Amino acid sequence: MSAPTVRPSRPRWLDVVGILGVVALGFTVWLGLWITPPDVVQGNLARLLYIHPPLATVALYWVGAVAVGGSLLYLWPRTRSLFWDRLAASAVEVGAVFSALTLVTGSLWGRPAWGTWWTWDARLTSTALLLLLEVGYLALRRVPADPAVRARRCAVAALLIAVDIPLVHFSVDWWNTLHQGGTFIDPGFKIHASTSMSWTFLLGFVAFSLVFVWLLGVRYQVEVLQDAVGDQELEVSLAERWDEDTEHIGGDLVGQAPAPGRGAP
Amino acid sequence: MSYVDAGYAVTLVTLLVYAVGLVLRRRRWERALRMVEAPATESDGAPVLGERS
Repeated sequence: MSAPTVRPSRPRWLDVVGILGVVALGFTVWLGLWITPPDVVQGNLARLLYIHPPLATVALYWVGAVAVGGSLLYLWPRTRSLFWDRLAASAVEVGAVFSALTLVTGSLWGRPAWGTWWTWDARLTSTALLLLLEVGYLALRRVPADPAVRARRCAVAALLIAVDIPLVHFSVDWWNTLHQGGTFIDPGFKIHASTSMSWTFLLGFVAFSLVFVWLLGVRYQVEVLQDAVGDQELEVSLAERWDEDTEHIGGDLVGQAPAPGRGAP
Repeated sequence: MSYVDAGYAVTLVTLLVYAVGLVLRRRRWERALRMVEAPATESDGAPVLGERS
């Protein structure tokens, strides 16, 4: 009989979130590209704003909350659990994808709007730093180590990401930047856009958030499976080593026993 | 292709490729887990998972 299988659960709600995310993303693309009117100032270029700010929101706030929150909960002795470490690691990997997409879509908007693909603006630079920190975190995670040591190292690395998040958020206020501040929503939460544009914009946030939750869930399952395989392999190699050692000891004992007709008087 | 089309295409294709990659990785690790659990069965001479007896 084989040992009972340890597998991560595949919750039904995650499939529902995935389907809802795909549907919402489909509607965002349809509304963003074909239904909403061109902007009076930017024309069709404003259509990129239905995907760029939602991508940036996920990359910065959702990923930041899960990665930094998970790492802090791991570092805190009372809540220390590999669950938080795995969740944080999963968020950072998904976050790296969203950060890269934020930079690419921003660059595609900046070329016609600003006349340049890239500028060392505080918002852009701090976002690029966020991507670098996420890649660094993932590289650190691949360094072979005991799971607890790896988790502690990565949790500390995530604190660097925590430092960068307010830098990205407040960069447009703290420095004189080419990147504009909030344009859709003013401090009084009044939206300055037509109804269809506002709804498409909000739907974009919902769609990318749902996609993020689904990707995070699946990535977490991969993390659990990797650890389960590592544990099983360790158990198998320990069992093999135990068998070898037992055979050696057995063989040595047999070797020490006097051979018939030789040692006997 | 306009900048807008390129932005949507890059975003959707990247997310699709990453999502498919994740699902394939999950499947591969599930298979790997079954494989490392199999030796107990294998050493008894019973058929290994996925092998015809």
